[in-house]
Amino acid sequence: MPQTIATLVDIILNSLVLGGVFLIVAIGLNIIYGLNRVMNLAHGSLYALGAYFGFTLVASGLNYFVALILAPVAVGLLGLVLERVLISPIRHHSIVYTLILTYGLMFCLDGAIKFFWGVETRFIRLPDFMRETVGLGPASYPMFRLVILIAIAAVMGALMFFLGNTRFGMNMRATADIPEMVSALGINVRFVQVGAFVLGCVLAGIAGVLAGPLFTVFPIMGHEMLISSFVVIVIGGLGSLRGCIYAALLIGLVQTLAEFFITDLAMVIVYMLMALILAVKPRGLVGEGRFE
Amino acid sequence: MSTTILSTRDLSRYFGGVAALNLVTLDIMDKQVHSIIGPNGAGKTTLINVITGQLEASGGKVFYQDKDITKRPVHDRVKMGLCRTFQITSIFMGLSVRENIRIAKQAQAGGSLRVFSRRDSLQEVSKATEEIISRVGLEDVADQPAKNLAHGDQRVLEVAIALAGNPKLVLLDEPAAGMSPTETDQVSELIKSLGREMAVVLVEHDMEVVMTISDRVTVLHQGGIIADGSTQEISENEEVKRAYLGTENWAPLIEL
Amino acid sequence: MNNIHTAAMPAPALKRMRASKLNLLLFLTGVTVVAILPLILPNKFYLRLTNEIMIYGLLAMSLDLLLGYTGLLSFMHNAYLGIGAYATGILLIHVFPESLWLAIIGGVLITVLISAPVGWVQVRTGGLAFALLTVAFGMMFYTVGWKWYSLTGGDDGLMGVPQPDITFFGIKIVSSGDSFGIYYFTLIIVLGLFLLTWRVVHSPLGAVLEAIRENEQRAAFIGINVRLYKLIGWMMACGLAGVAGSIYILYRGYTGPGVMSAFAGAGVLMMVLLGGMGSLWGPFLGAAVFIFMQDYISTMTEHWEFFVGLVVILLVLFMPGGLAGFYGIMTKPRGE
Repeated sequence: MPQTIATLVDIILNSLVLGGVFLIVAIGLNIIYGLNRVMNLAHGSLYALGAYFGFTLVASGLNYFVALILAPVAVGLLGLVLERVLISPIRHHSIVYTLILTYGLMFCLDGAIKFFWGVETRFIRLPDFMRETVGLGPASYPMFRLVILIAIAAVMGALMFFLGNTRFGMNMRATADIPEMVSALGINVRFVQVGAFVLGCVLAGIAGVLAGPLFTVFPIMGHEMLISSFVVIVIGGLGSLRGCIYAALLIGLVQTLAEFFITDLAMVIVYMLMALILAVKPRGLVGEGRFE
Repeated sequence: MSTTILSTRDLSRYFGGVAALNLVTLDIMDKQVHSIIGPNGAGKTTLINVITGQLEASGGKVFYQDKDITKRPVHDRVKMGLCRTFQITSIFMGLSVRENIRIAKQAQAGGSLRVFSRRDSLQEVSKATEEIISRVGLEDVADQPAKNLAHGDQRVLEVAIALAGNPKLVLLDEPAAGMSPTETDQVSELIKSLGREMAVVLVEHDMEVVMTISDRVTVLHQGGIIADGSTQEISENEEVKRAYLGTENWAPLIEL
Repeated sequence: MNNIHTAAMPAPALKRMRASKLNLLLFLTGVTVVAILPLILPNKFYLRLTNEIMIYGLLAMSLDLLLGYTGLLSFMHNAYLGIGAYATGILLIHVFPESLWLAIIGGVLITVLISAPVGWVQVRTGGLAFALLTVAFGMMFYTVGWKWYSLTGGDDGLMGVPQPDITFFGIKIVSSGDSFGIYYFTLIIVLGLFLLTWRVVHSPLGAVLEAIRENEQRAAFIGINVRLYKLIGWMMACGLAGVAGSIYILYRGYTGPGVMSAFAGAGVLMMVLLGGMGSLWGPFLGAAVFIFMQDYISTMTEHWEFFVGLVVILLVLFMPGGLAGFYGIMTKPRGE
């Protein structure tokens, strides 16, 4: 019985961690999409860059938590450059155009990662206290996972506060919901859109630094995360933040369970679940998805 | 004796908590030009969207030729003879003018599953296409890609596409938007001639157009109908005047 | 009154005719070159390279049908070449070791049958979600190919696929494994399918697909059941990819899961982008260029990923019409 409880605790906490990482990445992608109407396929690469920046910062002696702040900032700055140079000029083009362009960008960034960091897997050195395990009743759980879980909760909390209570956050929501009217309300739309893009990139970077200790740091980590974010976004509904939250937690749970029972074909289960959900609700779990 | 071709009963549409349409009940008669007017945000385009199936109704029903079409998909309604134009031009920009109309005709007349014939082997379709091109006066630009056309011609093309669907009821959403006075007159003439053959529902801001060619006018305000009657009755209606008060749209009406 | 101006052909139509005569000439030249290539250049390497170009050209053409004509973007269309290859291969091993035709027909049928429910789910969503879903489903098939050892041979791939004689009504025309014969077999099938697809895109059905590509909303509002026709276009494209896969396994005698990978998917997309979307023949050109480049680039530098990405970005920004110069969907403004 204690063994079952221990396993259960493991599964629940692992689901939350996995779902939490998915959530941060997917929300970043959704925010960029919601305000800029661009699906940035390079988002996974930015997530990977966050992990790699984190790795380099820690390797050069900085504390993990300092890296957790600095790496996303670096990714955000890179995002700003990308927005000005590549994204802004192409906003009026069709979806196919922007998808293919950001697809090419993804390859470029991945290639750059290989160029600067090589192809071997990297490991982020954690502070000593994070390498212990914590006793939770009959179960014991790695401390670093708990810390990451807390960090995820903190990031989500901050994000929700930002969106709901700050002027910029509310301008963002207005621009996403009622784009036709915002200029009449005196909101500087371009500023909000660029800001949203940078915010999305920062979130990707945060997720990357958090994911480093979880999955290790390797060149194609971005691909796998990107595909998982697609699944989350489409199930949750394009542009729907609420749906995104449900979807991320659901996929986190399903994938954790599937990996526990089947390992090899776990992802196939996830994809089939996705197909099932979309067959019934093409606009996402909560039906709020943009039909684009 | 005029028949009712379309009617709505208690039609409602909500966005979040806001009622864009609130219990709208109205009848559209055949072979008439029936205008829907109202200040900005009154719900005119929403009404068109719900009637045509672009948006789902939150409540109420839509009847077309005595059939309940409330749940039917867009393409079904079009095939039944319910065609529309959009406020923001929605045509096939990359295709030629001729092909724009031809494909609309083909979609209505059938033949779309003919995989191995040539497109122009559908003779009825080709013939009807040329007739429509002449009727709307686009012969000169028929071979041009639609995106090369002047704005006014594009609006006319959009009406032509709606016509190709062999409609019994055509809904025109601000067809004269952005047109010069000459073009506006031409379009008005076209609409008037359409009104002799089929039911026309017209959403327009240009009051002169509305008052000149309408057989009947319905006024929407904040999602509900506040007046419905002849152009004379509407221009004298106090509540309508109040709804428009302060907007420039009212000026031509007062001069009438 | 007899107006001589009305007797003359209107200028645009005349231009069209001249252009199509030129196109016809180019087309015949191209086909002739490919047809006599093994005779003037009997080098086995070039034979196999051109054979591969034809197969991938067919795959890229099928993606062009999907993307250039119907406007649906798939990042992993190669999944259906893979399914066709595996299906035909498995049929050859276990069911029809003697009969190539039955194995090919079976393989293509299986591909189309699998593509149907996937396509049904995908077309229920909008174009953007469609593209994302092609990645998810593509990865699903790749994972199956990679992990389901007993069915597909997993990482090792499908080995020991028999290469039967190719017979036509009982007469043997190609001996087992004869590269020369397989080359011409490929040429005939690819040419035949090209002409068939050409017919289809110029038919009333093709007109419907183009309308959907140009303006989905307007297509629905002229009475087109958009979802249905998207599904039809999808299944046709997947069927063609399945044929490409069947020929692929005949030609190689082997297939591994790599053919269904995300990178291979990017390759097909690049072929269409390079060649020109909406031209139908452009993708063959794109396949030729890509396959040549791939050989060169991967030996020259280990940083091919960056290079590929850069080429894609530059193509999109400066040459969206590709080598064939067709613009269509790449210059479509964003609708809302």
